[in-house]
Amino acid sequence: MGSQAPQVWVVIAAYNEAPVIASVVADVKRAGYCALVIDDGSTDATGAIAAEAGGIVVRHSINLGQGAGLQTGIEFALSEGADVIVTFDADGQHHAADIAVLIDALARQGADFALGSRFLGTSLNQPLSRRMLLKAATLFTRLTTGLRVTDTHNGLRAMTRRGASSINLRQNRMAHASEILHQIAASGLNYVEAPVRIEYSAYSLAKGQKLGDTLMILVDLFARRLHR
Amino acid sequence: MIAQLILTPFLLGILLYALTEYRRSPAVGLIAVLAAVGGLYFVWVPSHATRLAEFVGIGRGVDLIIYIWIVISLLLLLNLHLKLRAHMELITVLARELAIANARSHRSTS
Repeated sequence: MGSQAPQVWVVIAAYNEAPVIASVVADVKRAGYCALVIDDGSTDATGAIAAEAGGIVVRHSINLGQGAGLQTGIEFALSEGADVIVTFDADGQHHAADIAVLIDALARQGADFALGSRFLGTSLNQPLSRRMLLKAATLFTRLTTGLRVTDTHNGLRAMTRRGASSINLRQNRMAHASEILHQIAASGLNYVEAPVRIEYSAYSLAKGQKLGDTLMILVDLFARRLHR
Repeated sequence: MIAQLILTPFLLGILLYALTEYRRSPAVGLIAVLAAVGGLYFVWVPSHATRLAEFVGIGRGVDLIIYIWIVISLLLLLNLHLKLRAHMELITVLARELAIANARSHRSTS
């Protein structure tokens, strides 16, 4: 990053998020960042609403999954000259104010990845079952990647241009959260964790991962290792 | 006992895979679950496999063939699944290229 303010692109992968996408995009814009919404083949008006709210919209013709949406966003943002790319959930559980915390962490620590951690920060209205599931996922990831992270399935992260260029997500669905950590570990680039705030709502809990998805994630991670 | 210890984790793995496949394709998932459960059962209760063999009028040595048939069938299923995943990756690349090209074209005209 040079002396000029870095060009920050916030990538928001969205699928049928019409009820909340306008406020999410508006929050990101208000904080002063470019909001890039990947409309992942939504069957509602997500894309149109996001564009109306001031977001740049890239639309998948078919629904591919959040991981695929993030990779599309990363590639598009890189091609548009982004210096810093932030991934941000579309369901309204993240706070745009935390983006500055992540960017600051990147700059202060000279890191290429800043990973948001709700366990270093705060999580409001988090059900106990979700907390236990996330803790188990964190333990699994620490064992398989060697990364000393405290929160593995947090969609709020920032990466430098160099960091983003080293990421190539091939897990289209939820397993991308583990895959990105594997790729960070494999890249050998520096990473840092930063405290962020997650606020669960009835809407985000209904849209979020379920216990049954855990098995699917494990199968996806295993299957990925079985083919090139 | 050695064969049982080798086959059991393999069949349990196939059973897990079949359960996850159930959501994508109930018919394939159900058949695979039944095959895996049947395989597990006959691995641990081979006498019933013999009785079944006798019941349907074939000899005991066919037990092994049944096991092998189950394993090979499920391996083919796994292979098919992996091929589908590989195709999905290609479709993803195409859909991404198209999405990015459309967005660039839209940005340049607006």
